[in-house]
Amino acid sequence: MARSMEPLVVGRVIGDVVDMFTPATEMTVHYGTKQVANGCEIKPSASADKPSVQIHAPPPASSNLYTLVMVDPDAPSPSEPRYREWLHWIVVDIPEGSDATKELVAYMGPQPPTGIHRYVFALFNQKGKVMAGCRPPDARSNFSTRRFAADNGLQPPVAAVYFNSQKEVAVRKR
Amino acid sequence: MAITAAVATTTAADCSSNRWSMQSLSSALPSLNSITCSSIRFSSSSHCRPSLSLTRTQQAPHLFSSYTGLASNNPLLSLGFSDLTSFEHGLAFVDNGCRISAMRHGRRVPKLNRPPDQRRALLRGLTTQLLKHGRIKTTRARASAVRKYVDKMITLAKDGSLHKRRQALGFIYEKQIVHALFAEVQERYGERNGGYTRIIRTLPRRGDNAPMAYIELV
Repeated sequence: MARSMEPLVVGRVIGDVVDMFTPATEMTVHYGTKQVANGCEIKPSASADKPSVQIHAPPPASSNLYTLVMVDPDAPSPSEPRYREWLHWIVVDIPEGSDATKELVAYMGPQPPTGIHRYVFALFNQKGKVMAGCRPPDARSNFSTRRFAADNGLQPPVAAVYFNSQKEVAVRKR
Repeated sequence: MAITAAVATTTAADCSSNRWSMQSLSSALPSLNSITCSSIRFSSSSHCRPSLSLTRTQQAPHLFSSYTGLASNNPLLSLGFSDLTSFEHGLAFVDNGCRISAMRHGRRVPKLNRPPDQRRALLRGLTTQLLKHGRIKTTRARASAVRKYVDKMITLAKDGSLHKRRQALGFIYEKQIVHALFAEVQERYGERNGGYTRIIRTLPRRGDNAPMAYIELV
């Protein structure tokens, strides 16, 4: 098992969201200046805007396009994930290097109502330029990353990262 | 880990002048307790290194190369307690007279630095919150202490009789959580025998550098 896969297994991202895969691509996600590392804590206010995503692929595949999916497997609460998974963002046709060009599903920032939620970014390698016949999912709740990838021929993922977030303490007016 | 970093940078600076003095090392050490604990945890930090941010992983290998060259296998020996080498080499004597061992021999109950009534209240509160939220973030000692009580509550719920329900109501602070737990535990943990929690270690807390962990229901 690769070194970078261990936090994903320990955090049960592999298992809840995706299946075991070998990381083929490096992906870095930044919210402002803060880089997303596996299991780090990011406040909802810091992640309200879209992050910037950089993809570094190994040299032989330089004209690849990628699909990024962001889901929350702990919605609405980690002890009762009724809406597993909650879809936050889908971006398709990402070229090498940077960022979000074509959003299939608009970005929605983390709003965990209760408990500490994991937010998973999963990157898939696209075979063709335009994802033919893919419609945006009609509802954000009860989304399945595995089913989405299987329907659009994207299996398996090439990179994944996740972070934690919890509801911020509201400022009380005395 | 910050304490070990401070020691390593001090000794590395002294090494550059080719003279390692005991005074500089002992002045840099806050107390014996923290060195023992931090040196033990340093070896376990290699497991949680993937979860650290990038700046820390760049520092950590450099610190290893400068620190282990100076210390012998027993970190306590390097501090000059040479009269304990022959036997009792796992023990050291601190100024206030108690003995510190490098191993856990005979320690049955985690005391959590609290008197017994407060300790019980803390554990009750932590299990209530863990059953309510599903995943909480606390210190590592508290997380490993609360595992036993969460497993006990889930075992009571698996039994499901009235007596067990009343026992659970006597421990958990909120009764909706008990009723919800008894209702859903069969489908969730029906096949699982024990081990209903998982602990994931994480970065230390900023205010007091306490080692933190997420504990979650499996």
